[in-house]
Amino acid sequence: MNIKIRNTLTEIISVAIAIIWMYSKLNAAANMSIASITQVLVQGIGISILAAIFFAIVIHIVSAIITGSKEKNVVDERDNIIEFYALRLSSVIFGISLLIILALLGWFNLHINFGIIAITLSVFLASICSTFLKIYLYK
Amino acid sequence: MAKKKIHIENTVRRLRFNNNEMTQLELADLVGISRQTVVAIEKYKYTPSLKLAFKIALAFNKEIQEVFYIN
Repeated sequence: MNIKIRNTLTEIISVAIAIIWMYSKLNAAANMSIASITQVLVQGIGISILAAIFFAIVIHIVSAIITGSKEKNVVDERDNIIEFYALRLSSVIFGISLLIILALLGWFNLHINFGIIAITLSVFLASICSTFLKIYLYK
Repeated sequence: MAKKKIHIENTVRRLRFNNNEMTQLELADLVGISRQTVVAIEKYKYTPSLKLAFKIALAFNKEIQEVFYIN
């Protein structure tokens, strides 16, 4: 497994951890105040960032121990193109998700709390989809 | 005029072996790209930019048309 795929996998793992953590905290969203929901969401984003850093370090150490050498992470024009494709996909997914969320909020007259949660989760969903695209392109 | 799909191939792999069996990592370091990009170029999965193509050709002391060609 090369360094690019390893880095992308750490992104997916960290986002998955943040989603699971947020899901466990947001069990009764309709009864929660907006302040407590946003607190959970901000904490979730923080957890995803910290988890990404932690797993990046751990995976690099494990990889260096297994292979016996430290692989350089060079960013070149191909990486920039793949990053651009991933960004484009994530913005499309987020845009579609936002439209669906707004339509559902209006259609089913849902609580605004669900909207805030759904928008944050759609950001994570877009991030996961873009990382899967990156793995596909790096393979 | 109908669009004609151009398939660009290269001789990078052969040139590496002809240059004292240069490794992919050595070529990558020489032209400032990652080893994965060298792999992708050799497998024709990625067509480099004109600038990178010139850099690769210069690394082998070849003209660009000797390294990259249309099949």
